Amino acid sequence: MNLRKPGLTLYGLFIVMALLAAAALLLGVAVSSILVFLLIYAALAYSINFITGMIGYVDFGHVLFMAIGSYALATLVSYFGANPLIGVGAGAMLGLVFALGIGLVILRFRGVYFAIATVVLVLAAYNIVLQLPQLGEGGEIIFNLTFQPLAPYFTIWTIVLIEIALTYYVNRSRIGFGIRAIKSEEDAASSVGVNPQRLKLIGYMLGGLFAGAAGGVYAWSTSGVTAGPAFDFTVSLLMLAMIIIGGVGTSIGPLLGAVVVYIPSYFLLTSVAQAQPLLIGLLVIIMALFLPDGIVGLLRRSNKRLRLALE
Amino acid sequence: MRDVSFDLPESAVIGLIGPNGSGKSTLLNIIAGLEKPTSGIVKLDGKRIDNLRANRVVRYGLVKTHQIPKPFSNMTARENVAVAVLYGRRNIHSPRPALEEAHSILALVGMESKRDVAADRLTVQEKKKVELARAIATGASILLLDEVFAGLSPGELKASIQLFRKLHDELRFSVLVVEHVMRAVLTLSQKVMVLEEGRIIATGSPDEVVHDEKVIQAYLGSKNPAA
Repeated sequence: MNLRKPGLTLYGLFIVMALLAAAALLLGVAVSSILVFLLIYAALAYSINFITGMIGYVDFGHVLFMAIGSYALATLVSYFGANPLIGVGAGAMLGLVFALGIGLVILRFRGVYFAIATVVLVLAAYNIVLQLPQLGEGGEIIFNLTFQPLAPYFTIWTIVLIEIALTYYVNRSRIGFGIRAIKSEEDAASSVGVNPQRLKLIGYMLGGLFAGAAGGVYAWSTSGVTAGPAFDFTVSLLMLAMIIIGGVGTSIGPLLGAVVVYIPSYFLLTSVAQAQPLLIGLLVIIMALFLPDGIVGLLRRSNKRLRLALE
Repeated sequence: MRDVSFDLPESAVIGLIGPNGSGKSTLLNIIAGLEKPTSGIVKLDGKRIDNLRANRVVRYGLVKTHQIPKPFSNMTARENVAVAVLYGRRNIHSPRPALEEAHSILALVGMESKRDVAADRLTVQEKKKVELARAIATGASILLLDEVFAGLSPGELKASIQLFRKLHDELRFSVLVVEHVMRAVLTLSQKVMVLEEGRIIATGSPDEVVHDEKVIQAYLGSKNPAA
């Protein structure tokens, strides 16, 4: 962490975000309907980065918060005719509240026990949704909104922007020091005054908040929610893959990872859709074996100036 | 632990020795809030601290080092110490001044030249110094040192004892030292307590303790006094 040279990473990310905004405004509907999913992926990657990337607690059930956000928006829009933006806000809030309640219990587990608990939670939540007629009883909730692709696009764009700024800020702040200490040695951290329970809960709640918001925008963009795909285990794995490929814990890694995972999958979808999980799985294995710090780590090692600039 | 009761006066250095499994580490863990006592109390400046978690105890000015150093391996030596500055009771809450403070504390323990080295690349001896620097950096007035002198060469041991003396003279903290290395405990402590099977079997000056019959028995066994 180099506190003296602020900003290069941040400026770079802001330029990318400005280009994404410009692309949608100038090139219109076709581009924005492709890029909206890139931004949703990025938002999800940043959200899981708060707990798994920064604190090192592997969350195999992060899709749960996305599903909560999707159902919040779908319910509000289809039953109450609410503005989708309110749905996104509600999804974010519900994600936060659920993360608080769940986190208070499962963040007491460490390592593989935490990971198992997160898997179990998703299964439990899925089975609850299957029983509830109000949530479609495992079927789907579909709604018809006037087609306006730029609204969800700039909603998720704003969410990603907030996540980038927050990630960057947290990494450089006092909390960031405490979080990195927990990631390395939780007991040693607590013996110099760090409160691991509190910081882990903050990370998990940020994860829930932003995954909930992203889930809301996802339901908005796809005009509905279906129980099976909403709780799809592989979506959690995709989020993990993105931060592992990009670079765990960093400000720039989740966006890099989202680009690497999403862009090829967009083109592969038309030819060999089944190959996507295989290719991503292979990529993750290669990264884990040879580049544990992801693309960010590779770039850092390749050039001294980059080592200082990339965060 | 049974019937263990003692006071640690301000700026005092008390040694705690005893055979393996006698309860030395358990006692330190209870005081530092890492283990809960089934009965009994721990007080610091008249306030009970036995019901507090480890990270709260640090706020009261008491900190314990680990027997096996546990550096934060994803950080440099200086960042390791900065964590303790930020979360101890120094009222330094922003990273930049904390890193400056960490720099001067590392200089104090003779680790200035290694400040920007990743903690997992340090030698065991250097990791122990970082561990000590971290403890001091919290602003603690009481240090519980768990075998900081173990595993050192005679030369390193001498240097460590000198360093400890220097730090104690400068910072005037109270210390409870748990140690197997007799030379270190006996030279540094004003008072030594001997634990066996969870009880204190002897207390006194270093000289009195090493000549105590019960202590000799506990260490060497009664049937084999010549050894």
